[in-house]
Amino acid sequence: MKTWITRSAFLAAMALGLGGTPAWAEGSGTFRYAEQVKLITMDPQKQSGSGVPFLRPAYESLFEKGPKGDYVPLLATGYKVDGLDVTITLRQGVTFSNGEPFNAEAAAKNINRGVELGIVEGLKTVASASAADEYTLKIKLKEPDPAIIDSLCLTGGMMIAPGAMDDPALDRNPVGTGPYIHSKTESREGEVQVYTPNPTYWDKDKIGLARYEVLEIPDDTARLNALKTGQIDGGNWLANPQSAIIDRTPGLKLIRGTGGLNYHIIISDREGTVIPAFADVNVRKAMAYAIDRTAFGKAVQFGLAVDSYQPYGEGHWAYDPALEGVYAYDVDKAREYMAKSKFPDGFSFDMPSIPLYQSRLEALAGFFKEIGITMNIAPQEPGTLARVSRTTAYPATNLVWQTNTDPKFLALRYIYENANYNPFKAKPSEELLALAKAGLESVETDVRAPIYKKMAARLADEAFLIFVASSPILIGVSEKTASNPTVVYRYGEDSINLRGLKAN
Amino acid sequence: MLKLVSRRLLALVPLLFIVSVLTFSFTSLLPSDPVDLIIGDTGTQEQYEVVRERLGLNQPVILRYIQWLGRAVQGDLGTSFFNSVSVADAVMQRLPVTLSLTLVSALIAVAVGTAAGIAAALRPRSWVDRLATVGATIGQAIPNFWFGLLLVAVFAVNMRWFPATGFTPISASPWEWLRSVTLPAIALGLSSSAAIARQVRSAMVGVLQQDYIRAARAQGLSSRRVILKHALTNAMVPVVAVLSFQITVLLGGSLIVEQVFSINGLGTLAITAVRQQDIPMIQGLVLVMVGLVVMVQLATDIVYGFLNPKARPS
Repeated sequence: MKTWITRSAFLAAMALGLGGTPAWAEGSGTFRYAEQVKLITMDPQKQSGSGVPFLRPAYESLFEKGPKGDYVPLLATGYKVDGLDVTITLRQGVTFSNGEPFNAEAAAKNINRGVELGIVEGLKTVASASAADEYTLKIKLKEPDPAIIDSLCLTGGMMIAPGAMDDPALDRNPVGTGPYIHSKTESREGEVQVYTPNPTYWDKDKIGLARYEVLEIPDDTARLNALKTGQIDGGNWLANPQSAIIDRTPGLKLIRGTGGLNYHIIISDREGTVIPAFADVNVRKAMAYAIDRTAFGKAVQFGLAVDSYQPYGEGHWAYDPALEGVYAYDVDKAREYMAKSKFPDGFSFDMPSIPLYQSRLEALAGFFKEIGITMNIAPQEPGTLARVSRTTAYPATNLVWQTNTDPKFLALRYIYENANYNPFKAKPSEELLALAKAGLESVETDVRAPIYKKMAARLADEAFLIFVASSPILIGVSEKTASNPTVVYRYGEDSINLRGLKAN
Repeated sequence: MLKLVSRRLLALVPLLFIVSVLTFSFTSLLPSDPVDLIIGDTGTQEQYEVVRERLGLNQPVILRYIQWLGRAVQGDLGTSFFNSVSVADAVMQRLPVTLSLTLVSALIAVAVGTAAGIAAALRPRSWVDRLATVGATIGQAIPNFWFGLLLVAVFAVNMRWFPATGFTPISASPWEWLRSVTLPAIALGLSSSAAIARQVRSAMVGVLQQDYIRAARAQGLSSRRVILKHALTNAMVPVVAVLSFQITVLLGGSLIVEQVFSINGLGTLAITAVRQQDIPMIQGLVLVMVGLVVMVQLATDIVYGFLNPKARPS
């Protein structure tokens, strides 16, 4: 259980793939990145969704992910997890952009604030944090959490200057240790956030730009036009017609990042309280076999998604190639399973939908119709699907799962009796429960991978989570950006690593 | 005139009150919930309740409205549910953008519409007239967002004459401002120019047949003087009424055009606020838009009075 990792700054840089880049003292040029979502907050501990590219210039996390998803110390230098105790050693000589020193006391204050706010999912297992000495941070967990370091790679580990925490406008005045500082005077609310080099940055050689801009362009076509005309150097996209255009336009390139969104169906009423047929595993398997995932990916996700049979994507440590094609489209087999079930004549049920998922559900309804199941699509207001899915209003729902999320969250989301998306409080099978528990007993991915592979296989067997298609993280870039050797895409994130980034 | 202005401004007070009541009531009836967006997919029911309480959404609508009204009469329109940005700041920051866009598109609409209308009226039933009529019909039929996309594809993406997206404030660079506002203003002004062209044509045809025009021509006045000074002045009276309506149409149309060109004006703010159910922001925006429409109508009445002394308020 005990793991002690201490890496030098040099090794950290090497692991990030930046070791070979030349050093420079001052940045030059501008890099412009377009975000598909509007900026909501620049307070990392109040961030609950997209928008991390707005935070990365100003904030650094304790760890970040290397090219293969491994944990690389950034503001930390090492960690040790021993049961419920996590010890993190911190980098010395770092200051926040407002001049405050970065030390264990500041880090503890950050973690405790995150716990108190309760918005960052990754900090929900943390009881409290304290400073053991000036550069040693102690975190006490409420329960074993093998993903705690993973969480500290993201917003949960981003460090805010303690003096800035009392600023009611912190969401627009970020103060961190990052290579760039937010320029409020040059930024235009709702349009562009401007960042300039941080003169107090601890690793000045990694400041490669004189100016970094994050533009808010939520309209996909407008973002595409901005990329085509060189107004932006890159931007993020979902699998939609515009990203498909980028993929086939000479002079532009669509980067497929590790991680992404896995679209899946959740049979919430798997004990058959409202829809008795859902309690029959044969019915659920029939539904899984009835979906032509390849046609779905081509027609609904513009050829940018891959067929999915498990929660993790290729490249993830828990991904199991053996599960590929486990429910490959086979309508005859689907009919056989329906015939074997207690509901051979089919049944009907209601499925909530938001406009974004309407075409997906229409395609799925067509597949289910082939085996006698009528899925009625019930439109919901945008933004309400998650809440509706947490209630018993519908016997099934459809959501996306971020494939780079630690697998422990699968149980918290869907498996446990009190899981967020188990509104009917269905009791999990003994096998799933045991696997979920076993997955928490080690921090080592080598140890955890076989456990979560078994869990994915078990989930496939129980078929109450029906995975349909997985679209990767998509970043559209210009030809110049594509050939810029300093551009490093963050693992599992829709942003570019700014440390060492130079203008095209 | 002063009486008219003060009367209109006073009438604005009950109007804004009624509008604010309606907006508050309608937004509270919507099934979506801003708290869902704030806590995200991973939020729990406990968090949901905490955030609802923090935002005051657990209180009755009437109480919330009274609290909001109490602050609003003191000039405080509140703060966004989603961040620390004050509604007044957000609106005031975007107002010049939308006004720029509306003003330039109104100028384009007036210039193009008036020129086309005069040209058509001078030679009724000629090919010029038919061309103007067909152009006006097409102009009114084409959706402005589609026309905008077309303009971007040709003049921004292919020719690179104009930026495809964004807006540059006039204070930053007048030239870049003009470049950034030209395509969206053309897209927005197209249908209004068509409406104005039709109005100018029919008004001019009528005026040009009046006796005083014949008398002016008989006195040896130049054709240019007769048309621009005598005929157009009178023909513009009904056009001003149409223009007032068209400006309010342009304000509404900017909601869509701003999206196409990724311009951060009131339209973009409104769409974001509605999507997020950001009630304070929606309230503030509606009040400002109502205020703008009233101001446009007031300005129209004043101009109308100058053009037609008989219509001046006593």
